[in-house]
Amino acid sequence: MYKILEKKEIAMRNTWYKVHAPHVAKKVKPGQFVIVRAFKNGERIPLTPVMWDRDEGWIVLIVFTRGKTTARMANELKPGDEILNIAGPLGNPAEMEKFGKILAIGAYTGIVEVYPIAKAWQELGNDVTTLHVTFEPMVVLKDELERAVGRHVVETVPIDPNLDFPTNMKNVTKRLVEKVREMLEKESYDLVFMVGPTGDQKAVFEVVKEFGVPMKADLHPIMVDGTGMCGACRVTVGGEVKFACIDGPEFDAYEIHWDELIARSGYYTDMEQRAMQEYMKLIEQALQGGEQ
Amino acid sequence: MAVKRKIIKERVPTPERPAEERIKSFVEVNLGYTFELAVKEAERCLQCPYNYAPCIKGCPVHIDIPGFISKLVEYRDDPDKAVKEALSVIWTCNSLPATTGRVCPQEDQCEMNCVMGKVGDKINIGKLERFVADYAREKGIDEELLFEMIPRIEKKGQKVAIIGAGPAGLTAAGELAKLGYDVTIYEALHEAGGVLMYGIPEFRLPKSIVESEIDKLKKLGVKILTDHIVGRTVTIEELLEEYDAVFIGSGAGTPRLINAPGINLNGIYTANEFLTRVNLMKAYLFPEYDTPVKVGKRVVVIGAGNTAMDAARSARRFGSEVIIAYRRGPEDVSARVEEVEHAKEEGIKFEFFVNPVEFIGDGKGNLKAVKFEKMKALDERDSRGKRKIVGTGEYVTIEAETAIIAIGKHPNRLIVNTPGLKVERGRIVVDENLMTSIPGVFAGGDAIRGEATVILAMGDGRMAAKAIHEYLTKKRENGNA
Ligand SMILES: Cc1cc2nc3c(=O)[nH]c(=O)nc-3n(C[C@H](O)[C@H](O)[C@H](O)COP(=O)(O)OP(=O)(O)OC[C@H]3O[C@@H](n4cnc5c(N)ncnc54)[C@H](O)[C@@H]3O)c2cc1C
Ligand SMILES: Cc1cc2nc3c(=O)[nH]c(=O)nc-3n(C[C@H](O)[C@H](O)[C@H](O)COP(=O)(O)OP(=O)(O)OC[C@H]3O[C@@H](n4cnc5c(N)ncnc54)[C@H](O)[C@@H]3O)c2cc1C
Ligand code: SF4
Ligand code: SF4
Ligand code: FES
Repeated sequence: MYKILEKKEIAMRNTWYKVHAPHVAKKVKPGQFVIVRAFKNGERIPLTPVMWDRDEGWIVLIVFTRGKTTARMANELKPGDEILNIAGPLGNPAEMEKFGKILAIGAYTGIVEVYPIAKAWQELGNDVTTLHVTFEPMVVLKDELERAVGRHVVETVPIDPNLDFPTNMKNVTKRLVEKVREMLEKESYDLVFMVGPTGDQKAVFEVVKEFGVPMKADLHPIMVDGTGMCGACRVTVGGEVKFACIDGPEFDAYEIHWDELIARSGYYTDMEQRAMQEYMKLIEQALQGGEQ
Repeated sequence: MAVKRKIIKERVPTPERPAEERIKSFVEVNLGYTFELAVKEAERCLQCPYNYAPCIKGCPVHIDIPGFISKLVEYRDDPDKAVKEALSVIWTCNSLPATTGRVCPQEDQCEMNCVMGKVGDKINIGKLERFVADYAREKGIDEELLFEMIPRIEKKGQKVAIIGAGPAGLTAAGELAKLGYDVTIYEALHEAGGVLMYGIPEFRLPKSIVESEIDKLKKLGVKILTDHIVGRTVTIEELLEEYDAVFIGSGAGTPRLINAPGINLNGIYTANEFLTRVNLMKAYLFPEYDTPVKVGKRVVVIGAGNTAMDAARSARRFGSEVIIAYRRGPEDVSARVEEVEHAKEEGIKFEFFVNPVEFIGDGKGNLKAVKFEKMKALDERDSRGKRKIVGTGEYVTIEAETAIIAIGKHPNRLIVNTPGLKVERGRIVVDENLMTSIPGVFAGGDAIRGEATVILAMGDGRMAAKAIHEYLTKKRENGNA
């Protein structure tokens, strides 16, 4: 049981949790993640420690409200509550080397995963530029990144209320790809790194490939245990089957079988939507019950 | 007890839920004995003398089987006493009888050479063992016995870390706690139990039983740290700084995959993933439980061990048509006989001598069919005594939206990669005292054997506890405790 020390909404659909988890805080390195099980009948989901204090024993998680589990976390957890399980740290730490000039990209809440890695790279003597592309009301960690790296670029896209969310997201992808192209045209980088939805990672990779710049991507396949026991997270990299939770999560973008990964990530979409709809129904019922 | 007894040839049957009812739920299939039925079955036992009894020789942990069975008959007028006496006999060798009574391959172990087999049915040792454990649990007799034991424990002041809360780790922890050591288990998952919790389904081993076993360990003072992955959260090296000895019971959790095109299509699960979703995460209760699982109209399970049966029977409970496809013949099926029978009763079909060569997709990343090569067996046998098989060059395609791969597992990689730990073919190497190449670090269960059985893992846990006790006694005597 891991106590929530702080909880706040830091941007639209982005919730900050500061949680007491000394076993993770003591060991975590940039690039690693944890598996969280927040509720008794809940799912195990991977999330990333964004900041931590080894002595005080806390970590910060920043969570995008996406489906049922993340929505329940945002709605139901309060400061002082306990999260049932936080397993970790898991996965391999990001490679800490002097790469030179780095462009580290985060789409949406992906930027929170970029933060600890980019900060450590900069501290190691790399020249790091971070790029955050997201919707206007979803900008997070702007000040922190400005302090942590050489240059932090924020590109926002307005949300068109007349369009549904997936259509709006296409505009973000468009802006993202344009911006990356523009930056690569203007300056030469030794490494591109990216965290974000797999489709966006692939779209960015297509551009980076044209410039021949090395690229790494932190992958987000569906995970269950995170310890190499189930194989849910398998991805094909360089023609071989890898388990992202113990072999990754960071891989060479040139070697990743992107289409397979995109197909695998969407396998449960219909069930996830059903879970979300039933959850919304419960909330509506609760609200109506409250009015009577 | 030299009573002249009548030979009763037939086993007293244990009631089972009918197949058509049980494929609709995950409720336990076999209902077990009542006290009266257990006594009736116990009366059939010929009470072979301890040194001779073939049942004792067949049990990997050498439970005094006629010893515990006789208590049921002897105290038949006082069921509570009968069970308490029987349980104390079992407990000297086996601390998880409710589990082993259900999952041991009795036909190859204790029941294999039972002398009653010469004149009639063998004694149903497994179900009797299960009865004793279940009755004791329901009546709180096991706790009573435990509480009688606790004040006699003499604290040793030394600490032992156990890696993994499967049957090997749980047994080692229990034995060491009874010897007075301060024991902490490090478990990667959010629940203790290992395969008993995430692998073996509810309808074969109710999770409440495993939970109650774990509760008892906690009452013995064992600490369990879930969410701790050794190799990531803490290393074996670091454990050795804090503890006087370490036991590795991390199992064989890494699934083996089939090296065939299309293996990453949606709809192809490893048995571990499928069973973890279903058992540990309770996906059969979706959306009340959040974890989803998809079971197509037709499911092919590849393999024919216990894991394959469990996966197949779980899939069947989602209303699917299920086929078990195995590259060898019926004589090489390694699952428990009872599970194979249950699977057949539940309408699961078997295809023998077929080896998967390709997983065929629907063009959208989902599985549509599995292509198999037909195999044939030769008279020649391999090192394990199985007939060798070869491909025939003929193929057969089975349509299925779901395939579950149950062809075996390797030990956990995070542990195996520990510097200085000697490993051969993925298994941790140990000496005759179950000590690894790192002094003070012991190992047992599937981590040293590859995929084996619950009772062998427990036997290792018990033996390692003894070896650790000796090791730590020496350490104490040398004054560097
Ligand atoms: C290594 C890693 C680190 C991550 N770090 C963060 C983070 O710091 N902050 C953050 O907001 N999100 C992070 N994510 C993503 C996060 O795990 C998903 O957003 C979350 O699981 C969605 O759950 P849900 O029930 O709310 O949504 P659902 O409606 O259940 O799912 C929506 C989508 O989320 C993905 N998803 C669902 N379940 C899982 C799962 N068990 N494992 C992986 N992906 C899943 C799938 O693509 C799915 O289609 C990370 C993912 C990975 C793999
Ligand atoms: C589906 C299935 C059905 C089976 N049916 C039967 C049966 O009917 N009868 C029978 O006798 N046997 C059966 N078996 C085999 C039996 O379950 C195993 O042989 C037995 O569980 C091995 O016990 P163990 O303690 O060595 O390992 P496990 O039970 O595998 O437990 C290992 C534990 O260690 C944990 N762990 C792993 N790595 C780490 C790490 N790095 N840090 C911390 N913790 C870690 C795991 O999470 C797990 O909890 C079956 C196996 C399966 C998979
Ligand atoms: S532990 Fe297993 S083999 Fe031994 S008596 Fe019990 S059921 Fe039989
Ligand atoms: S071999 Fe059979 S009859 Fe003899 S003691 Fe064992 S169980 Fe009883
Ligand atoms: S999440 Fe199960 S093996 Fe990676």
